[in-house]
Amino acid sequence: MFRHSVVIGSVCTAIVLAYVASPIGASDSITGVVKVTGLASSADAVVYIQQAPGSFTPAKPAQMDQRQMQFVPHVLPIVAGTTVKFLNGDPTPHNVFSPDNEKYNLGTWPQGQSKDYTFNKCAKTPCVYTQLCRVHPEMEGYVVVLQNPFFAVTNKEGHYQIDNVPPGSYTLAVWHEKAKAQPKPVIVEASKPTTVDFVLGR
Amino acid sequence: MTRLERTRRVVAGAVLVCLALAVTESTALAVPAFARKYQTSCQTCHIVFPKLNAFGEAFRLRGYRMPAETEEMVKEPPVSLGAPAYKRLWPQAVWPGAISSHTPLAVNVKLADVNTSSLNEDGTVTSVKNDLQFPQEVNVFGAGTLGDHVSYLSEITFGEGSDGSVAVELEHASIHFDSPFGPEDLFHFRLGKFAPNLADGFQEMWISTDAGIDSLFNYNPIGFNGGTGLGADAVSPNPISLPTLVRGIEAYGIIRHRALWVAGIANGVGPGSNDTTGRFDGNNAKDVYARFDYKIGGMGFDGDMGGHPIPDKNWQDNSLRLGVFAYRGDASGINFPFTTDSGLMTNIQDVHFQRTGIYASLFTGDLNVFSVYLHGSDSLQVFDAGTAALLSTGVPDYHAWFTQADYLLYPWLQAGLRYETVTPADRSVPTLKTGVANLSALIRANVKAMVEYQRDLRQGKNHSLNAVLRFAF
Repeated sequence: MFRHSVVIGSVCTAIVLAYVASPIGASDSITGVVKVTGLASSADAVVYIQQAPGSFTPAKPAQMDQRQMQFVPHVLPIVAGTTVKFLNGDPTPHNVFSPDNEKYNLGTWPQGQSKDYTFNKCAKTPCVYTQLCRVHPEMEGYVVVLQNPFFAVTNKEGHYQIDNVPPGSYTLAVWHEKAKAQPKPVIVEASKPTTVDFVLGR
Repeated sequence: MTRLERTRRVVAGAVLVCLALAVTESTALAVPAFARKYQTSCQTCHIVFPKLNAFGEAFRLRGYRMPAETEEMVKEPPVSLGAPAYKRLWPQAVWPGAISSHTPLAVNVKLADVNTSSLNEDGTVTSVKNDLQFPQEVNVFGAGTLGDHVSYLSEITFGEGSDGSVAVELEHASIHFDSPFGPEDLFHFRLGKFAPNLADGFQEMWISTDAGIDSLFNYNPIGFNGGTGLGADAVSPNPISLPTLVRGIEAYGIIRHRALWVAGIANGVGPGSNDTTGRFDGNNAKDVYARFDYKIGGMGFDGDMGGHPIPDKNWQDNSLRLGVFAYRGDASGINFPFTTDSGLMTNIQDVHFQRTGIYASLFTGDLNVFSVYLHGSDSLQVFDAGTAALLSTGVPDYHAWFTQADYLLYPWLQAGLRYETVTPADRSVPTLKTGVANLSALIRANVKAMVEYQRDLRQGKNHSLNAVLRFAF
């Protein structure tokens, strides 16, 4: 009996370990490099799957800080319906407003406080909200609202990696505040990393 | 006044003008502020500074922006004065701009060893040897861009007089609106005090000497017979000749890479040093000018190469540039005092004056030959200074031309020869003919040594030899 339990336990453990190693079963990643021509940095491009089957519930709230007179992160991709907590990490008052889509102005508040805004009013994808501060006109940030959680933001060298993408055929697109590129079709196969590169122009 | 006296007077005037120019303004610009901004060499835009190459000319015409400029070309990113998104908020927000992240200042220093010989009216010769004008002048530039479509240029020149006095002149102070609307580079305009594009291309752009081109910019038409020559009885630079600097508004643009059009309105002749009204314009009329150039071959005015490869040597631009230009001035109501040979004191007004010219510049290999012909006519009215009675009227004309050849012996060494003439309106005065030889060496990219010899080809006792060291930082 004990021996049977050990065998069953081992099998279950193996199954669990296998599941943990590949949490969505046969899902895999999409990686690549985005090159933004004419710019010194290729950072802050959002690479995303335009449309994935199913509906996606936003997880915990996202966060955008205002620190050293900048929106941090500069670009924040989220799933539609996500609530973003706008913090003020600076000793000076900051304001947050957006002239885009339904437009909003969250007011002005001091260091340490935050205000929330839920992005569930825009139907198109991606739905881009420019974040501005009336107190400091040079500040600019972006909230990019997407249909699904399969997205990534490039680093300075343009590298990105989207994990846990279920196998299937998709259209991979890029959003950048200053440059554009045509979307590309991509087929994600089980346990087979996919590489897609982009070159963005003005 | 006899013919000989007139000749001597003109000769003396010419030499004085040369001296005056040597110690006063030169509108030729070399602006290291741009070298800092782009972290690039002077040779990107200059052949031997301040002479521009084709790329530098495109950079200048495009409002101090590189052809097909991208953000990664700007090595010192500007300080944003407003996020780009604020453009969409206008008029509910201030349109965003930008300023340079470094202090956009640059300095040019010019040291000169001046040697001159000039024939006086009494037949004696005055010579000056090794007058060490250290420094002769210092120019402080401010230049850059103010975000999209706006740029600026300012220049203050300091000169020290032999009596210890310091002369300060504001040579440039202009704001430029570059391609504010419409297709790129088709329409630019600027306002302020600036070197008009009228003369650019054969004045500011090409001069590697520091002595100017006297025949075009220092002719004085004031006189009973329409003037006798360069600079006589007038301040330098002559405000009635072709202006080197104007206060005004200028529009210009590039059509299909190859054609350059210019149209401008200038304040015109000032009221004179005795005026106490504080005005800069001597009357209510404005002067107008226009220019049209076409370039065959080489780099387009906007930096476009039309798919052709860019030459390895950045001073080469195998091309032919042809241009026509015109300036119409109105100096009515502005009195120029003139005393006749018989002692009669008069006031002369240049009611209307016109300057028209043609221009050609050929680049082939390391050689650049360029030439300008200018015709001028003046509607003069002579009044008795005491009674204000009109004594006479006339429409005298004069013409001038020069041709210059610059050859680059090495990338750092340029030899130049220029021949220029002025045929004064008073035909009893012989045509002024001047020869100039120049050797300019870049000791460093921003340090230039130059030796220039200038000679009056009618009267060999009038000549000058200047050695100049100029550096920019």
